[in-house]
Amino acid sequence: MSTSATAETYNYKVVRQFTIMTVVWGIVGMAVGVFIAAQLVWPELNFGIPWLTYSRLRPLHTNAVIFAFGGSALFATSYYVVQRTCHVRLFSDKLAAFTFWGWQAVIVLAAVTLPLGYTTSKEYAELEWPIDVLITVVWVAYAIVFFGTLARRRTPHIYVANWFYGAFILTIALLHVVNSAAVPVSWFKSYSVYAGAIDAMVQWWYGHNAVGFFLTAGFLGMMYYFVPKQAGRPVYSYRLSVVHFWALISLYMWAGPHHLHYTALPDWAQSLGMVFSLMLLAPSWGGMINGIMTLSGAWHKLRTDPIIRFLIVSLSFYGMSTFEGPMMSIKTVNALSHYTDWTIGHVHSGALGWVGLVTIGSVYALLPRLFGREQMHSIKAIEAHFWLATIGIVLYIAAMWIAGVMQGLMWRAVNEDGTLTYSFVESLKAMYPYYTVRFLGGVLYLSGMLLMAWNVWKTVSGARPAEAPVPQAA
Amino acid sequence: MSETRADRGRGAAVQTTGHAWDGDLQEFNNPLPRWWVWAFYATVLFAVVYWLFYPAWPVGEGYTKGPLNSITFEADGKTWTTHWNTRARLMRELKESPAAVRQRQYLEKVAAAGYDEILADPDMKGFAWSMAKGLFGDNCAPCHGSDGKGRIGLFPNLADDAWLWGGTVEDIETSIREGRRGFMPAFGEALGEAQLDDVAAFVLSLSGHEVDPAQAARGARIFRGDAGGCHYCHGMDGTGLKSQGAANLTDRIWTVAKVPASPSLEGKLEAVKRVVREGIRREMPAWKGRLDPVQIKLLTVYVHELGGGQ
Repeated sequence: MSTSATAETYNYKVVRQFTIMTVVWGIVGMAVGVFIAAQLVWPELNFGIPWLTYSRLRPLHTNAVIFAFGGSALFATSYYVVQRTCHVRLFSDKLAAFTFWGWQAVIVLAAVTLPLGYTTSKEYAELEWPIDVLITVVWVAYAIVFFGTLARRRTPHIYVANWFYGAFILTIALLHVVNSAAVPVSWFKSYSVYAGAIDAMVQWWYGHNAVGFFLTAGFLGMMYYFVPKQAGRPVYSYRLSVVHFWALISLYMWAGPHHLHYTALPDWAQSLGMVFSLMLLAPSWGGMINGIMTLSGAWHKLRTDPIIRFLIVSLSFYGMSTFEGPMMSIKTVNALSHYTDWTIGHVHSGALGWVGLVTIGSVYALLPRLFGREQMHSIKAIEAHFWLATIGIVLYIAAMWIAGVMQGLMWRAVNEDGTLTYSFVESLKAMYPYYTVRFLGGVLYLSGMLLMAWNVWKTVSGARPAEAPVPQAA
Repeated sequence: MSETRADRGRGAAVQTTGHAWDGDLQEFNNPLPRWWVWAFYATVLFAVVYWLFYPAWPVGEGYTKGPLNSITFEADGKTWTTHWNTRARLMRELKESPAAVRQRQYLEKVAAAGYDEILADPDMKGFAWSMAKGLFGDNCAPCHGSDGKGRIGLFPNLADDAWLWGGTVEDIETSIREGRRGFMPAFGEALGEAQLDDVAAFVLSLSGHEVDPAQAARGARIFRGDAGGCHYCHGMDGTGLKSQGAANLTDRIWTVAKVPASPSLEGKLEAVKRVVREGIRREMPAWKGRLDPVQIKLLTVYVHELGGGQ
């Protein structure tokens, strides 16, 4: 391949920007998480200041980790992967830059408005309508850049990672626009166009597919590039990737009602939500099998390469939480688990275990290439980060499992004479030790991120931004 | 970059699809794991069977009802049989589950019984205690604490023997049903600091604290005369007045003044002064309408037993 001065290069600038912001927003979002976890143990920590209260910081935490940390990671890796696997520069540098600055603006606006108490009160979609409009504009630009690049590809086939990124981008656009449809009454206040049970159903159709397409499909795209790249092995099965891709995206859409078991939602919708969640088990595991089996023949790399370890353990957590999810969607199980901290544990085994670890592994693999370095500054630090993160997750989810099952059992415990054994406040009191352990788990996970920030700083400082030539057609 | 279908057959050494991206990215074409396929089929089969037993697919204005399943329940004195649905299941559980049956029997018995009957019958009293423990935890504990001990200065202690508004079951029931409004005027302006000192000394002397006798004597004149007029509510002897919710000042039980928290006499005097200076304005909401009469009855028994009911 010739690399003359005039040769076309990949657009690494926007990838670099999003990659660095992934680390920054990861720390911010997780720090807020640790803070509100501490508030659950020491309620005085809101200091009587309204914008430091749990109710306002919790949506800030979820938005920051999902859309700021996770979103930046998806932008970064999708822009990188779509270029590298299409052998063509991004469709438009200007639009790509717009998506970066637009997305950062959304995050900053969220970080200001949520603590001030501006909220639509729709979970994971709390931002008020002007910010929703900005998200829509940025997302359309994102779709143009991504699909425009795909359309101009110089490879005959579309690589599997791009199917997943593509599905994620299209579906999030649909979910966001439908769920956020609202009637504005002022610049800071709007009312949803839906009411009652329909509002709840639309909300959880959105909410669950935000998990399915933002936190699953998007990150599977990441996995399908970085696992085979890092392992230096071909993807295990093309056939499996086709089958599980179509099964996954066609079944996920129906699973939302399992968030509304035993509510005013009609029974037929609850039934469909449950069985479609069960049918999702195998398609979800398809991704895990394909990722983990890619390593067959190279298992020894688990011992020597901490990045591979991040990626493979993330797939294990993915497999675990996609098993747990269908189980919790079974109505009988849900009768125990719903409204308890078990749900919080489940979400975090997915968020910290799957999304967090696969992102961290991918960033460690990606960052040196963006800055012309052989590898990260310190492999030992990656190693240490892996253990901090893993132990943190285990503490977190084990504490929440115990807490959740205990809450569920205490709420339903009935005495001989038909009276409830416990009042709610007693179940709350029983949570103290577990909330403390959860807080410690969060502290460990966050300290791993701080170690990562140091490692990133050491790798990047003094390095020159790398330029990579686009391979010319033979 | 130009692999074709023909390559696939020939590339037996590496059984990939023959495509390559970004240099070395390739795909094997391993068959679907058998167990994985069967697991998928099993969940699909489960889903189809489930649809035969439970409401599932929306069709036109209605939905498939789950033809192989039905549920029978009683409502409005009639027996209904219909396709399975959660509402019917709830109706049936409320009617038939052992806990619901037992609880209903007790509730009917308690509703028909008088307080003296309930208090004399260990079985009914036990039920009232366990049922009201939950009611108390969910409704009363936010202020009075889950142990009912309240918080000095804010919420009265219900677990001791002192009763501002009376400790008989009738009094307690009225307190819960109608709520209470605790009020004492602020005397800061009317009396001034020097007289507040005197009154505080007298008040503390009522419960046996060693104070300056001269000061207490001056305080007594204010307390018992028209300058303070304290005796109108607290009585000449300071034992309080139930109808006004006025505290007994002779029993060393403090509900508003933070006297026990101050080890020194100066601190205790200041705590009393503060209440006299600023007055009291607190309210317990009425629970009628929020709790039904039987629940109020059960809570009355619970609170009566929690402290030394009269």
